[in-house]
Amino acid sequence: MGKFYKFFMVTFTYLFLYVPIVVLLVFSFNTEGFPSPWKSFTFKWYIELFHSTHLWHAFYNSLVVAICATGLSLAIGVFLIFYAAQGGWMKKFLSLFYGNLVIPETVLAVSLLGFFSLISIPLGLPTLVVAHTVLGLGFVVPMGYARFLELDFRLTEASLVLGASPIQTFFKVTFPLLRPSLIATGLLVFIISFDDFILSYFCAGSSAQTLSLYILSMLRSGVSPVVNALSALLLFLSSFLVFLFFSLKSRTRIF
Amino acid sequence: MKNKKLTSHLPFSFGMPAVIWQIVFFYLPLFFIVISSILKVTELGVVEGVTLEKLWLFLSPVYLGVIASSFLLALSNAVLCLFIAYPIAYFLAFTSHKFKNLFLFLLIVPFWTNFLLHVYAWFFVLEKEGFLNNLLRFLGIINEPIHFLNSIFAIMVMMVYYYLPFMLMPIFSSLERLDRRLIEASMDLGAGWSHTFRRILLPLTLSGVRGGFFLVYIPSFAEFAIPELMGGDKQMFVGSVVSHYILGEETGSLGAAFTVVSCVALLISVVLLYLLMNKFVKKVYG
Repeated sequence: MGKFYKFFMVTFTYLFLYVPIVVLLVFSFNTEGFPSPWKSFTFKWYIELFHSTHLWHAFYNSLVVAICATGLSLAIGVFLIFYAAQGGWMKKFLSLFYGNLVIPETVLAVSLLGFFSLISIPLGLPTLVVAHTVLGLGFVVPMGYARFLELDFRLTEASLVLGASPIQTFFKVTFPLLRPSLIATGLLVFIISFDDFILSYFCAGSSAQTLSLYILSMLRSGVSPVVNALSALLLFLSSFLVFLFFSLKSRTRIF
Repeated sequence: MKNKKLTSHLPFSFGMPAVIWQIVFFYLPLFFIVISSILKVTELGVVEGVTLEKLWLFLSPVYLGVIASSFLLALSNAVLCLFIAYPIAYFLAFTSHKFKNLFLFLLIVPFWTNFLLHVYAWFFVLEKEGFLNNLLRFLGIINEPIHFLNSIFAIMVMMVYYYLPFMLMPIFSSLERLDRRLIEASMDLGAGWSHTFRRILLPLTLSGVRGGFFLVYIPSFAEFAIPELMGGDKQMFVGSVVSHYILGEETGSLGAAFTVVSCVALLISVVLLYLLMNKFVKKVYG
């Protein structure tokens, strides 16, 4: 009974996950647009995809925001973890960061929007970077701290005893040891920021269009098979990133 | 203090940017939204005092109904995800063997792809002339196409699709830490599947189940994009009302008030569900 249930659920779930994707990919080669049935094979939507300037502009915006947010949250997060892990009063600050993943993203987005308009900062890509960095810190700090505690502190001590300065120790011992898990966390933050919809919807304003907002506008204004072609491209990109994530073998858990 | 030397040489200001960032861009905005929900502001934008008027406004039956439907949506989503995710997590942790990484990979790829594309993909599947209708007609189950889109069914499908990994990962982690010999021992000693599950698996993975449950429950409570896109805005949920008010002209403070009211409702429901779970666990396991 248990075995049958499990087998059924596994097959069902993987079909559930992949049937829509396969249907989507098949229809990216259809000559006719949604919702007409299959006609004949074509590459024209892919060609149109590569010529769509709006789309690539949105893609570029998303990429810039994701890179900035990942870099910022990693940089400031790592230093905090480094200090907090040494003990002392800095450690108390760590608990501040566990709220980011607990409150619904909609609430964070809405309150940031209110905050930005209150202090009259115009919405745009910078505000989006700020918002995504907050989200990123919610991953970097708890995950990085957990990893930091697993490090062998005798290595740092040895480095210090043997005459390396604290700065040298940080860059030559601590940082290289943490690198795989930091890259893994960075990849996670990058993809979350790149695919994020809720924060972009509220904090990007009307001028800055990210990829999510572009896809949304296409979904609302009659869809074209270009979205199918775009899906193929993005699936390829995310497969590559997941592959990278796995090959790091950092044992970083997604949750 | 083993590492005293290390700390004393580096200025602590290195660690401060993250803390400042967190306070300014996380706690301060949350604080402001609470404040702005109780401030009385005239039409010219002058603050006149404090009022609970806006908060009371949302305690009317209409808005309580919206909160209730969000509660039901989030609860059913979390329960559905739990029933689907547990066997998958078990499969990944114990029976997938050398294909474990492949199956994990296949699970994470959709999760790391823009969710609007999945919404779009489900349009293709659920549409009147779409894959599911054609399949059912081909199998002879139905004669006339069913309208799947713009229904609660479409919303639930997309919700489960999107939130499944949030339930799966914590359960998978806790199952991976579990000693599989315990399961073997239980089976060898004659306990059946359901008995092993209730007496060994569930108690030992309870933290994962609980974590996954709230990781799904909390964001789905405030979800607004999926109901709007898949449900055609027929049914109002907390997220849709909030986004409607916040993005509307001059209704921002009402949006803030409703956000506060629904957050309080969310908090109460989380505490109640948590207590209920504990009571259930105590009752079953003594």
